[in-house]
Amino acid sequence: MIKRILASLVALAALASAAATAQAEWMPGGPIKMLIGFRAGGGADTQARLIAEELEERHGWKIIPEQMTGKGGAVLAAALKEEPADGTAIGIIVTESLGYNMVAAKNAGYQQSDFTALTTTAGFQMGIVALTSKGWNTFDELVEAARAGEQIRFGAMSPKLADLAYLLGKAHGIEFNIVMTQGGKGVMDGLNAGDLDIGWGAGIQNNAVLAGDMINLASGLSTRLMVSPDAPTINELGLPFSADGYFIFVSPDGITAEAREALSSAIASIVSDGDTEAGGFIEKAFGGSVVIAGEELDALLAAEEAAAAALLEKASR
Amino acid sequence: MDVWSHVAAGVLAVIQGPAMFHVGAIPVSVTIVMILAGFLAGIAVGATPGLAGPMAMAVSLPILISVFGYEQASLLPVLGFLIGVMKGATVGGAVPAILFNTPGTPDALLTTYDGYPMTRNGQSGKALRIAHFSSVSGDTLSDILLFLCAPFLAVLVESFLDLPEKTALILLSMAFIAAVVGKSVMKGLLAAGFGMLVAFVGTGEEFYPRLSAGLPELAQGIPVVSAILGMLILGEVIKGLEDLMRERSATGRISQVAETGDNRLALREKLRLLPFIGNSAAIGAIVGILPGVGSTLAATLGYASGRRKQARRGGAEFGTGAPEGVASTEAANSAVSGANLIPVLSLGIPGNTAAVFLILAMETIGGFNPGPSVFRIPSEGMNEEMVIAFGIFTAMVIANLLNWTIGGAFMRWMGIMIRIPKQILLPSVLLVTMVAIYAQETSFSALVFALGFGVLGYFFRKLHISVLPFVIAFILAGTLERTARQAFSATGGDPFFLFSSPLAAILMIVAVALVILFGRRRMESQH
Repeated sequence: MIKRILASLVALAALASAAATAQAEWMPGGPIKMLIGFRAGGGADTQARLIAEELEERHGWKIIPEQMTGKGGAVLAAALKEEPADGTAIGIIVTESLGYNMVAAKNAGYQQSDFTALTTTAGFQMGIVALTSKGWNTFDELVEAARAGEQIRFGAMSPKLADLAYLLGKAHGIEFNIVMTQGGKGVMDGLNAGDLDIGWGAGIQNNAVLAGDMINLASGLSTRLMVSPDAPTINELGLPFSADGYFIFVSPDGITAEAREALSSAIASIVSDGDTEAGGFIEKAFGGSVVIAGEELDALLAAEEAAAAALLEKASR
Repeated sequence: MDVWSHVAAGVLAVIQGPAMFHVGAIPVSVTIVMILAGFLAGIAVGATPGLAGPMAMAVSLPILISVFGYEQASLLPVLGFLIGVMKGATVGGAVPAILFNTPGTPDALLTTYDGYPMTRNGQSGKALRIAHFSSVSGDTLSDILLFLCAPFLAVLVESFLDLPEKTALILLSMAFIAAVVGKSVMKGLLAAGFGMLVAFVGTGEEFYPRLSAGLPELAQGIPVVSAILGMLILGEVIKGLEDLMRERSATGRISQVAETGDNRLALREKLRLLPFIGNSAAIGAIVGILPGVGSTLAATLGYASGRRKQARRGGAEFGTGAPEGVASTEAANSAVSGANLIPVLSLGIPGNTAAVFLILAMETIGGFNPGPSVFRIPSEGMNEEMVIAFGIFTAMVIANLLNWTIGGAFMRWMGIMIRIPKQILLPSVLLVTMVAIYAQETSFSALVFALGFGVLGYFFRKLHISVLPFVIAFILAGTLERTARQAFSATGGDPFFLFSSPLAAILMIVAVALVILFGRRRMESQH
């Protein structure tokens, strides 16, 4: 009897100490697989890999980055959904993957409730860009040129941005020839080669804008752009939508609150620390970190989904 | 400040850059060390069956950036390494093609046409020397073109080519390769169509992964390395194993090719090859400036034009081990790489996969934004970007010098591999290729796909269908689809966009004419 009590006491103590360490620092039950929804070597991919390195250094976790690109994040989402929900699998995509892209695909194979959102890392400085050599100084001048009969080619790297471009033209009584490109780089190439007249840039245009080679005619965000405070937002131009978007880390749904908290605060503290390589890179490449996590992030995603449905509805009308 | 002070500053940025170590009292710049390291790595990668330059660049880029950081000072060492890899792999790539008939890239397939027969005639050493000599000559010529014309040429080309013309250009190059390579135009076209069909699995703009039959393995599309290496290398390995089996059951033993006779490349022979090299290098350089078509078209054009030249002159027929065949192909595909940097530097648009990684490095590190502003001379002070551009040119010159010297010695040394008995070599190539595929794709299904394409490549060889149209169509299909879609929407939904501009219409007519012309000529030669 005494033996049994002793044994259970020992077990209890072990349990308590285990719980205590877990509270002190959550540890994953093995290496963490980090799925990256962006092509290898690009800015988004570099960001993810630098974060992975810093996570290993700070917390001693083992991170295995793996590329999983395609279908605007849908391929990654469908795969991540099937991974174990214990903090050993996370993925980095854009909020659009859990918003417009998910709603627009008739059979995406996943929904927001399949995931637990961890944290955003950075936002897009989304603007409507043209070469300065085109001679347009404002969005109004562009509209005038289009009304005068000039065909305007508008480069967009995602269906959502194509819809926004279409509605923006409609709001001004003009029709753009909307050209889909591969990534923001495709828009920049098209502009430089003269294949496109204007296009969306998610921040990739910043250097060219600062150098005076390109100009932001409008901001796609709900706020004005950091580099071009004079350019009006598409809201101000009469469009009730915005192209706000963020890089976001997610894990499969069902991970413990502890794991969620540990992972999201670990990532958040790295990206918002400008002294880390990852933080410094984000500052340079994306104009600084934007950390949204917890309930605020859940609300943001829900709003994104609702807005996507409204946008699709309006664009298809 | 004039151009020359920018050139001088660019050269000094490479040579006098931060020192890595000192030899005696002389500091050795880190950029030069990185170029050398990249060059050696590139040769090793190129010479390994199943590995190629772009793959090595993809692997090394993140490592380089984490070592050097993303400060502007790291730009030249990182680019130097990548340029070294690019140049080294181009030369090294001819080695497995010539010695083992297992090309690692589509362009090297054309090198096998005459390179491998030369090996079987006991002339492997000579073939390697010719490949090295032509490749480096073509490369050097192309670099000179780049240095002289970079600022304005790409801008000029782009102002002529709109999206419809680009679409037509890709169609033309696919039609050309399908028509010229192989024994039958129809088989070539069928192979190209099949290659496109396979490339369309799981790709495209729709959110639904098309043609994937609901299989998650197909939803991401067929891995590129699996399809290419499966067709090019595994198909040949399977065929080679079958040949060995037949030979052993027929003669009771496996023969071994050895070098026989004089394998040196005399000055007289070099001079005789020069017209072929010059011709091909010019073709390669012109193709290199055009966006999106790349070195395989250059190799094919160079080979075809060399074949005509040879027929006129009455030398050994191409395909039977003609030294001119190796020279024509290698000079053409190497001449692409320098000219390919013209659109990269002046517009920021990559012409091939290797250029993609150079641009990625520039973007990730920052401080250099390829575009028209690179070559603008400011009224006062220095244009830092122009200095870097000339630094990049300097790095290319240094890589070329290494290529002329160390590259040649390496080629001679590689000839020893021919002594490996075939029954050991073929399984080794199989193993190395499978490892290379797994290292690049890290998925088991990629290996299954590769084996599947290996079997397909085997049947292509049995049925005398060239695998090149299939491979090149597979590679270009994505670009073709994207450009065609873009051209369609850019012209406001004009279904006849391919014929709406004179230039596009001419390109399309040439494509059709090529197919008819070559088709008829083959028919005649068969009767």
